[in-house]
Amino acid sequence: MTSARDSNPPSDQDPATGIIVSPRDLAELREEFDAASRRSLRDRFRYAFIRTHKPVMDDADFRAFASMREYREWCQSALPDWLGYGRI
Amino acid sequence: MAAFEYRQAEEIRDVFARREVRFLFIGKSGAIILGYPDTTQDADVFVEKTPANCAAIVEALRELDFGLTPEQAAEIARGKDFVQLRNGPFDLDLVFAPDGIEGFESAWKRRIEIDGFPVCHPEDIVASKTAANRVKDRESLPRLRAFLAYWLERNR
Repeated sequence: MTSARDSNPPSDQDPATGIIVSPRDLAELREEFDAASRRSLRDRFRYAFIRTHKPVMDDADFRAFASMREYREWCQSALPDWLGYGRI
Repeated sequence: MAAFEYRQAEEIRDVFARREVRFLFIGKSGAIILGYPDTTQDADVFVEKTPANCAAIVEALRELDFGLTPEQAAEIARGKDFVQLRNGPFDLDLVFAPDGIEGFESAWKRRIEIDGFPVCHPEDIVASKTAANRVKDRESLPRLRAFLAYWLERNR
């Protein structure tokens, strides 16, 4: 994946992010998707799910938010930025 | 806690079905069931927000060994928009009103079933990630959109 500032001519710009996906990136992604489609669902699970501790997020047994807005605001204010849950 | 496993997804599928919980896998976990190769940590399920469904969810979660207190069960039964569970055999997020999706019924009509797992249509998964507009979504969206195009082409 390349950034919008790269000098290669763009082939496909992501509408939400502006990130440009080059033809080579797309070809590589297709190969990855083809390879994944040949795996069983059980194998896809084995490769996909990982476990790391997310500070703050994983430090409570249970949280309930009355609205998604409340949840997003909590993510923005309570979680470390590097977790990536903050809104752009 | 260990990583989420296939057999645990089967348990969600089977217990929720037995308890007649209306739900869909959503987010990256849903995309992974559809064939998207990526990594994630927990399972997200989009659940219908009706009193009957919320009551069924509580019973299903108890059967799955989530240690819900009466207060926590009441919160779910009352119908919150987002519930994060870290008190069971695996981490699970219950999403009752995902960003970018009109409502449960429209998502249900468009659902895809893979090995009995009900999953949001990949267009809905992309729509919810786009609307959520988080830093981590921005990073993953181009790849997820490429998968959506690939999936639509293969499932025409």
